[in-house]
Amino acid sequence: MNLNIRPVFSALLRNRTGAILVAMQIAIALAVLVNAVYIVKQRVDRIGRPTGMDVENIFAISSSGFAQGYDHRATLRDDLAYLRSVPGVVDAVATTSVPLSGGGNGSFLSPRPGGMHSGFTAQQGDGNYFEIDEHGLQTLGVRLIAGRNFRPDEIAPAPLSLAHTEFAPSVIITQAYARYLFPDGNPLGRTVYDYLSRPARIIGIIDHMHGAWPTVDHPDRVYFLPRMAYGPRATYLVRTEPGELNRVMAQVEQHMGTSNSDRVINWVRTLSSFKADTYMSDRNMGTFLVTVTSLLLAIASLGIFGLATFNVNTRTKQIGTRRAVGARRRDIVAYFMVENWLITTAGIVVGCAMALGVGYWLSHQYAMPRLDLYFLVGGVLGLWGLGLLAAWQPARRAATISPAVATRTV
Amino acid sequence: MLDMQHISKVYRSDLVETHALRDFSLTVHAGEFVAVTGPSGSGKTTFLNVAGLLETFHTGRYLLDGSDVSKLSDDERSRLRNEKIGFIFQGFNLIPDLDIYDNVDVPLRYRRMNRAERHERITSALELVGLASRMHHMPSQLSGGQQQRAAIARALAGDPKFLLADEPTGNLDSLMARQVLDLLEQINEMGTTIIMVTHDLELARRAHRNVHIVDGQISDFRAYEPLPEAVAAAGTIGR
Ligand SMILES: Nc1ncnc2c1ncn2[C@@H]1O[C@H](COP(=O)(O)OP(=O)(O)OP(=O)(O)O)[C@@H](O)[C@H]1O
Ligand SMILES: [Mg+2]
Repeated sequence: MNLNIRPVFSALLRNRTGAILVAMQIAIALAVLVNAVYIVKQRVDRIGRPTGMDVENIFAISSSGFAQGYDHRATLRDDLAYLRSVPGVVDAVATTSVPLSGGGNGSFLSPRPGGMHSGFTAQQGDGNYFEIDEHGLQTLGVRLIAGRNFRPDEIAPAPLSLAHTEFAPSVIITQAYARYLFPDGNPLGRTVYDYLSRPARIIGIIDHMHGAWPTVDHPDRVYFLPRMAYGPRATYLVRTEPGELNRVMAQVEQHMGTSNSDRVINWVRTLSSFKADTYMSDRNMGTFLVTVTSLLLAIASLGIFGLATFNVNTRTKQIGTRRAVGARRRDIVAYFMVENWLITTAGIVVGCAMALGVGYWLSHQYAMPRLDLYFLVGGVLGLWGLGLLAAWQPARRAATISPAVATRTV
Repeated sequence: MLDMQHISKVYRSDLVETHALRDFSLTVHAGEFVAVTGPSGSGKTTFLNVAGLLETFHTGRYLLDGSDVSKLSDDERSRLRNEKIGFIFQGFNLIPDLDIYDNVDVPLRYRRMNRAERHERITSALELVGLASRMHHMPSQLSGGQQQRAAIARALAGDPKFLLADEPTGNLDSLMARQVLDLLEQINEMGTTIIMVTHDLELARRAHRNVHIVDGQISDFRAYEPLPEAVAAAGTIGR
């Protein structure tokens, strides 16, 4: 096949307008495509990050005591005993909030005494704590990598009033938070201080866990306090054997709805559904970007297709003449493919500059990581392919024009 | 030599069948200059298209330069058109977006000649037709006669054995028409076989031989001029 790029190019230069418009469409499509795919990729990665927990097999159930005689401590004791006895349940715990739910308890730990004035006041909510008993780690499915779990005798009873909450003698902390607090050396056994400068010892370190706010910068700065949660609201997390979640959920909801007439069940929900809600904006953003990008790509393809079709239709005599003087069918196909390749390439060159510009602007404006060049390379290859694909049908049709057209049209 | 025997060509549409060529036989010898005349719709263009491998035919036998062309593939027909046949059209058919030089270059590129040889052929063809100084003009910047001469240069650059012209002067005034015919005569004298369809009987008379087509068949032919010796020696001219 003889590509003859130079004369195709000179002929194209004499018919610029349509070509420039289509090239601009391609440029814009490329700039948006590359950056949108990059953003979507980041969001998808974010949603797919490991949470450290057995998310698929955990559900949460919330109850509120309302009656005069409601006994929070007794309710927790009875409910937990029941939950841990249900067949198919791995373990259960009462806590203050649901991980990944977007609502939780924040406070900060400091490696030095001095409380608010320790010089270590990180931003608000820097540490995210959960109150649990010795069943907490197993219920969440997190992995202890150093130290030990809480012992039953360490667990403080549910406070009767928030004013009298003591800090804890001991805490279990995520590896990420421990490294942040003690960048040098082994954090196990070290003392941390709360906002009132009250001390606690780090007795265990867990591998990894996302807390209540997975979309913040450091969702893995989590620690556990050995204490039953304050009432009259109680939130239980229940971990089931794989495949048992729905059955256990239904059974538990039914039982707990009637087991204690001093309280009501507020809701029963899977941890997965909390996670899905928390990442809703990421998913919506992804869907929006994919839709917009697909539309732009469709418009660019239609532009290429339309221009190629127009060119074929307005050049039937020229095509017939080329055939008459010796062009084979594939030479005609090649002509239109080369022509469209030139237009696409012009658009791609401009589009690369635009993509980098948009990427730079986004990274500045929204503190996003800089555009990964692999995405640009992928976008360029993709648009080249799309351009060739969109021009293929008109080019094939051009090749079917009879050489007799040369003598039959004047 | 171009040898057609009992060729038929039928155009079919939903309603009608047009027998554009019927039992059509004609032999054109190397070096001849044949003018084809006939009423409108008689089949002149059809004959030229079949002869030039632009269209296929249904029955009969056609030997072009000694070889049977009825069973050739589309690609082989393209190659033969490129190498053996030059076309001249009533409407010139120059490519409007290419300058004269590039227009003459079109068939040579399809022959995949190297750049130096193409350049050599383009310039000598343009010199022959007197357009060497206009090679970088666009077709729209030339007069009709100049455009037709550029088209003749394109047809000649590939050094074809046959030049097929369908009313090459149909769009030209009589002065420009005569110049074009002078050029064709000059080319014929250099050895190229020419078949020219024309309505102009005065121009037709300048050919060696006149073939008159009526209703898809040859009704009459006569020689106006003594034939070139080579042709006369080759034998009879005829159906
Ligand atoms: N593609 C086609 N489909 C159907 N009929 C056709 C086609 N091309 C030509 N014809 C018919 O074939 C017959 C011969 O046409 P042709 O073009 O060869 O005539 P012509 O002698 O060149 O006429 P003119 O002097 O007007 O150019 C005409 O009746 C014409 O209508
Ligand atoms: Mg005709």
